[in-house]
Amino acid sequence: MLMEVKNQINVTLKSIKYSIMKEMLNKGTFLMNIFFMILNDASFIIQWIIIYNIKEDVGGYTFNQVLLLWGIAAGIFGVSRFLFKNAFHLSDFITNGKLDSYLVQPKNVLLAVISSSSDSSALGDIFYGYILVFLSGFTVIKFLLFTLFMITGAIIVTDIAIILGSLSFWINRSDILADTGNGLMTNFATYPDGIFKGSARAMLYSIIPVGVTVYMPVQVLTSFNYSMFFIINVITLILTFFTFFIFYKGLRKYSSSNLMFSKI
Amino acid sequence: MEKNNVIEVENLKKNFIVKQKEKGFKGSLKSIFKPKLKVVKAVNNISFNVEEGEMLAFIGPNGAGKSTTIKMLTGILYPDSGRIKVLNIDPTKQRKKLAYKIGTVFGQKEQLWMHLTPYDNFKFFGAIYDLSKEETEKRIEEINSLFDLSKFINTPVRNLSLGQRILCEIAASLIHKPRILFLDEPTIGLDPVVKESIRKLIKKMNKEYKTTIFLTSHDISDIEKLCKRVIIVNNGKIVLDDQLINLKKQEGTLEEIISKIYKGEKTK
Repeated sequence: MLMEVKNQINVTLKSIKYSIMKEMLNKGTFLMNIFFMILNDASFIIQWIIIYNIKEDVGGYTFNQVLLLWGIAAGIFGVSRFLFKNAFHLSDFITNGKLDSYLVQPKNVLLAVISSSSDSSALGDIFYGYILVFLSGFTVIKFLLFTLFMITGAIIVTDIAIILGSLSFWINRSDILADTGNGLMTNFATYPDGIFKGSARAMLYSIIPVGVTVYMPVQVLTSFNYSMFFIINVITLILTFFTFFIFYKGLRKYSSSNLMFSKI
Repeated sequence: MEKNNVIEVENLKKNFIVKQKEKGFKGSLKSIFKPKLKVVKAVNNISFNVEEGEMLAFIGPNGAGKSTTIKMLTGILYPDSGRIKVLNIDPTKQRKKLAYKIGTVFGQKEQLWMHLTPYDNFKFFGAIYDLSKEETEKRIEEINSLFDLSKFINTPVRNLSLGQRILCEIAASLIHKPRILFLDEPTIGLDPVVKESIRKLIKKMNKEYKTTIFLTSHDISDIEKLCKRVIIVNNGKIVLDDQLINLKKQEGTLEEIISKIYKGEKTK
């Protein structure tokens, strides 16, 4: 059992390594992708500088907290897309029969699929996340907690992408729904949660769990809270188990296809 | 002498539900509110066994159910009903365990990473099958000499010709010394010279390693030069299961005989 887990981790890490190598084939494009993503992310913070020049508080957040919010949001989407890009393309794999070559291998299908592609620009998101955390005031504890929340958030974002992608096992053309759902996870993550009230707020702590990926981590980073720290980690674990359950339940419905394709 | 069956299939069935749409935009609108569904019996109650070391051609016209059957045997698809045992393993319950013992090559679907060299791909496959670094190196060496890959083993797969790529696909599927090799149209789109060298390799593997070969192909030469037994499927059912030598006794060329069987005509 332990050996099996060790071998699975080894293969997943190798798969991630080869995906990154593919992104690094052209050094110029690789570096430009990272640079332009940092620039793209930075453009959004300008509007917040303007807002905080007019108002001191937005949705209960100070400017430093907005920096943390953006840092975590950029970081989690960066890690998720850098390591598990294909989680966001799962619908295509299911609909077009691209799971076949993974299913004949003696390893976890889901991990093999999601780790088989990387997005170099996502590295820009990760760097940008760290830049903002440093700007909001650096401490070693904050750095470590930020890194942890970037990982838990990335796992949850990947989980949601997999659950939405897995709908393709049951529903035709659910890729549109998956894209919308993934978009919601990104869009809501960049506003202070104080501006959302009632049912909208409840939604952000349930079906669109931005509360767990971003808002709660911002609160823990601002003022450490054991129970919140515990809740974030437990929800990440439960959601991951649920994600695997949904994917493997759906896999029984997989119908493959005879389309021609390459693993490019 | 007791026969050692490595594949046992009993009353296997697989249906697909396909949406039917009337023509044009109106038809698309109608299918949203009142979809018409059609059940396609892709594999309809088939049974057969394959002995160890056999080279079997599993053929049929397009849409006959060949690929669906191979996919169920390898654990890609779940059957609706029936029983499958491959090397005494149920693919629906122990897919990973079975994967350690079989190799698969889909002529239409590539398993190799295009940006990596065949050598790096083989190393990755070695890790997938839990081989140690030393074992993987040894196997790469063996495969290299068997397939004569040395000229392009360090060239990225994307820069190889189709023939070289298929050769590497087959080589990669052998890294773990599988007992059964499933080949789904492995020679599709290849020139006659490459086809011939691939056939020679398949024969060599069967002879040297006693690898059981389960082959689907539309190329009559593949069947004629490789297999002794032929199973023909049509509309999801087995319409013929016989030795190739018996099939050849009938009137006409092998291609004509097989075409007649595909069309459901009687052969003499």
